[in-house]
Amino acid sequence: MSPLESSRTPLQRRSFLKAITAGAVVTPFGLSLASCAAGGSGGGEAGGGGGAATGEVSDTNPFGVAAGSTVEAVVFDGGYGTDYASFAADLVEQNQDGVTVEVTGSTQIAQQMQPRFVGGNPPDLLDNNGANAIGLSTIAAQLEDLSDVVAAPNLEGTTIEDTLYPNVLGVGMYDGKLAAINYVLTVYALWYSQSLFDANGWTPPTTWDEALALGAAAQEQGLYLFTWGQEAASYYLTMALDSAIKEGGDEVRLQMANLQPDAWSGQAITDVLAAMEQVVASGYMRPGGAGTQFTAAQAQWSQAQEALLYPSGSWIENEMAEATAEGFVMTGAPTPTVSADAAMPYAAINNTPNEPFVVPSQGANPAGGKEVLRAMLSPETATEFARTKLASTIVAGTIPEDAFGSSALASQVAMLDAAGTDTFNYNFVQTYGMTADVNVLWNSFLSGASDAAALAEGMQAMFDRIREDDAVVKVEVS
Amino acid sequence: MTQTGPMTAAVPAAGTPQQGAPPPARRRRRAGLDRISLMVVFLGVPFAFYVLMVLYPFTQATYYSLTAWTGFSPEQPFVGLGNYARLAGDPTFLSALGNSLTLLLVVPLVTLTASFALAVLITFGGRSAGGVRGLRGSGFYRVVSFFPYVVPAIVIGIIWSQVYNPANGLLNGTLTAVGLDRFTDFPWLGDVDTAMAATVVVIIWSFVGFYMVLFVAAIQSIDTELFEAARLDGAGRFRSAVHVALPGIAGSVRTAYVYMGILALDAFVYMQALNPSGGPEGSTLVVTQEIYSTAFSQGQFGVACAMGVVLAAVTLAFVGAVFAVARLLGVRGGARA
Repeated sequence: MSPLESSRTPLQRRSFLKAITAGAVVTPFGLSLASCAAGGSGGGEAGGGGGAATGEVSDTNPFGVAAGSTVEAVVFDGGYGTDYASFAADLVEQNQDGVTVEVTGSTQIAQQMQPRFVGGNPPDLLDNNGANAIGLSTIAAQLEDLSDVVAAPNLEGTTIEDTLYPNVLGVGMYDGKLAAINYVLTVYALWYSQSLFDANGWTPPTTWDEALALGAAAQEQGLYLFTWGQEAASYYLTMALDSAIKEGGDEVRLQMANLQPDAWSGQAITDVLAAMEQVVASGYMRPGGAGTQFTAAQAQWSQAQEALLYPSGSWIENEMAEATAEGFVMTGAPTPTVSADAAMPYAAINNTPNEPFVVPSQGANPAGGKEVLRAMLSPETATEFARTKLASTIVAGTIPEDAFGSSALASQVAMLDAAGTDTFNYNFVQTYGMTADVNVLWNSFLSGASDAAALAEGMQAMFDRIREDDAVVKVEVS
Repeated sequence: MTQTGPMTAAVPAAGTPQQGAPPPARRRRRAGLDRISLMVVFLGVPFAFYVLMVLYPFTQATYYSLTAWTGFSPEQPFVGLGNYARLAGDPTFLSALGNSLTLLLVVPLVTLTASFALAVLITFGGRSAGGVRGLRGSGFYRVVSFFPYVVPAIVIGIIWSQVYNPANGLLNGTLTAVGLDRFTDFPWLGDVDTAMAATVVVIIWSFVGFYMVLFVAAIQSIDTELFEAARLDGAGRFRSAVHVALPGIAGSVRTAYVYMGILALDAFVYMQALNPSGGPEGSTLVVTQEIYSTAFSQGQFGVACAMGVVLAAVTLAFVGAVFAVARLLGVRGGARA
């Protein structure tokens, strides 16, 4: 034994080892808890913004942006990028004296904005979108009413509201306040290959009976009617809801969007689910979807062409651009109805717009945020967006006759024109963050593991749970 | 580890001046001063850091778990234990907790058993004639089985989600090629009976090599004479493994068990890569995923923090259980890895 070890050292070494063990014990604590801790609680500083200096209100400056002020815009950097916002920002900088606009892209909206909302220093304009978007009902109370934006003249002097497609602002309403303006028009439809359908003499189904007949025709050729991916099983919820709303009328939409207790036992939705159950039972769904990544599943439709139809929003053309077969001629058709005498015409369509832009009240320059939004809703930016993204904004009439050579965009405009005012929208699935739970139920249903009754029961239970949960901020839809 | 003894013995010889025996009192005071500076530098600073960066966030998170904080506003209405009561009646959370506990039971046990078996093969599973040695080419196996650990978890998840792809994945391709037609388009990650097992296989696959290398090092520190003596007494490979190697590396196994258990309770990256929406019927949904979606997509940070506290409590209970079992089995030694 060395002299040092004969003193208290061995004991210390042992306690040191114990300390390390304790560290190992505490590590998991850190893993599970640190994720919850806030970056910094600036609660005391809340209310620092909002009352920012304003400039003189005029026709060319309807919100009174202060000269020389700075505007901060955070834009979801997804499929559409951020350059369209930068385009609008340049217009604002040209038109407003000495105003500078900073546009930042982000794909982690909730994670990056969460401490800023708590700290009372959110950006002046926020595009709250993507997989990491903030549930809008959570922050709705902290957002500006954007009614004055749509009531304002655009950069050419026309009132913005008069330039928009019908029924595109409803999804941004939270308790009577226009909390968000969803910028990109999205048409939810059944997408198919016009060339494949022409070659076989097929037409897109207008009723579920026709869909079943088409499924049988596909099966004869060893093809399937539909395919689906595990993360996007919820697209089939959208298709079912659209079909039921067209069949049963607007009251179906209101029942669903307000999570009514008997929403899933209505006649329209029951009929639609029965038809879809028959599609599944007849083997018209391409098998394996519950274990397939969704873009791989979509390629089974657009590339391999093993399935005839795919229900999706109009982003599908852009999303599958690299994985679409030569000569596909992607075209959209409205969702089928149950019967020929449905409450809404077959041409009626779900046009729920995407990319919700919000202006937080606590921002340093809310007027500046609105001014950028005004520039975005002006024909110049909207046309630029349509040209570069091959997608329409909610501003009508920005797509030329040839639709920039895109068959999908052309059919999108044709469907909107045919629908006229028979358009409807809803976004309760996003509002309440239901997508994950929805996917669970629909993957089971589409793979044949459950049936229509179990699906309706599961969806209703989910509705009931959210409706009865006082911790969830509800949005009354009308 | 075997070096520890001689090293500590050598340090005082070089460190303490041997000229003249200083009076005991003075020596003690100098040691005290040393001790104080040592404590300030090596304990005080890290402890302050620890309090600020670890304990404070824990306390904060625990407090949030008692509020109905949405996460996006400065208001944090106090609701007491309301969030916990809510969790007790939340079927999704309870099933996620059940899934996490399943992982906790299965993953460490299977991984470490497999790692130990491989380590045995590599260290003394070779020919029984001549000296004790591993299998031929054991160096190669050691490197190959370590590979998965080098690949980031998210990449592993993506690779395996392709392997499990029902239409053109490697697994179904192989199975149908050998004539098992019932696996045509079989959704391994989309079937409620196979999703969890398929996920567990991926986690185990990625860690077996690492713990094997760990156990190999530990077994090699056991005196070879023990294995030779056991063999002379007629012990086969299996008996040598269970009665010589396992007791010899018990400390390492315990530590590995704790770490693997913590990983199993987390498992976030694997789950998110293989089945981001929680799997068929929620069969692969784990608590960490539920925390994430509750906090960020449903805007209920208070509830999410309560889930975090529950998970932390489960983790602590698990670590405590491992140490208790190890003590009952007479495992000695510190937290040696």
